[in-house]
Amino acid sequence: MSGRDVLVIVPAHNEEESLPLILAEVRSRAPWADLLVIDDGSRDRTHDVARGLGVPVLRHPVNLGVGGALQTGFRYAIERGYAIGVQLDADGQHDPADLERLVRPVREGACDVSIGSRYVENSGYRAPLGRRLGMLLFSAVVQVSLGRAITDTTSGYRAYARDVMDVCRLDFPKDFPDAPLLIALARHGFRIEEVPVRMRHREAGQSFYTLGKRMYYPYKNLLASLMALLRRPA
Amino acid sequence: MFFLSKAQIITAVGAVGLALYVLDLVRRRRLSEEYSLLWVLTTVVIAVLGFSTPLLVGITHLLGIRYEGSTVFAFGLAFTMAMLLYLCIQLSRLVQEKDGLTREMAFLRLELEELRDSRDAVHPGGGDA
Repeated sequence: MSGRDVLVIVPAHNEEESLPLILAEVRSRAPWADLLVIDDGSRDRTHDVARGLGVPVLRHPVNLGVGGALQTGFRYAIERGYAIGVQLDADGQHDPADLERLVRPVREGACDVSIGSRYVENSGYRAPLGRRLGMLLFSAVVQVSLGRAITDTTSGYRAYARDVMDVCRLDFPKDFPDAPLLIALARHGFRIEEVPVRMRHREAGQSFYTLGKRMYYPYKNLLASLMALLRRPA
Repeated sequence: MFFLSKAQIITAVGAVGLALYVLDLVRRRRLSEEYSLLWVLTTVVIAVLGFSTPLLVGITHLLGIRYEGSTVFAFGLAFTMAMLLYLCIQLSRLVQEKDGLTREMAFLRLELEELRDSRDAVHPGGGDA
């Protein structure tokens, strides 16, 4: 570790085109943070590109999905003594300009998980209809489960305190780490807050979510949310 | 009533044949003892039901099934379901293990890269010596 206590974890699957820009942006916007790329079984030069830029890369020989990639990042963060881990997409959707705003409440101890939310303030983001319906459904699921609202359950722009990463490194949803994860974390007693951020459009590469996965998503997430409620926090 | 029908004979002979094939697979190490258990149990049950008409008739009456053949099919179906569920459980476990190994490989690779980098920093241009 470099003396810095924040690690920005960038899961990447075939993102050789968008990686150089996003990594450079993080370095200029958040020089106080270290970077880690998880190459999640890419077939392109993702690993070489990141390594060429001097960023450590953990390379999965096969694809584990975004949740599996984050888990790898959490383990790295714990083993190397980081206090805070931030999850940032490689595709440029998450603006590194918001990093400081996202990390601040966790660093100040105001919460254990901060979510970069598109909807806390009007940030100009408008998702496609299917996605909006899904978000409404899972916001409702979280609301019913936790008795409080989280407006952007699907945001993948989050900062986690060390204790949270320690739990997540052992138990984390493999493919869609959103509503069920939030329910499980809240049941562990972790405090979750939302921070307004701007989401940008994807720069290049391909989304983690294929058509098949989008169809499977509601089933998996409803079931996993129910299980998160039924399981005793370890 | 207690003679062997054609269907019974075919069922019983098929079950015995399958049991022998399963055992042969174990002998040739193509199937592990663990995975052979459900197969052997089921083929034996089906064979016994096929050969023993009184037992088959008794169970059929006990379960309120009208036709003896259906009893054999019911056992076969129950076995199929049990086997599929068992396989899905094993598959889930294998995927978990695969994920763990994948992660372990990623860490080993990174550590190797870091070691090489630090070696190259100490001995620039140094080979594998």
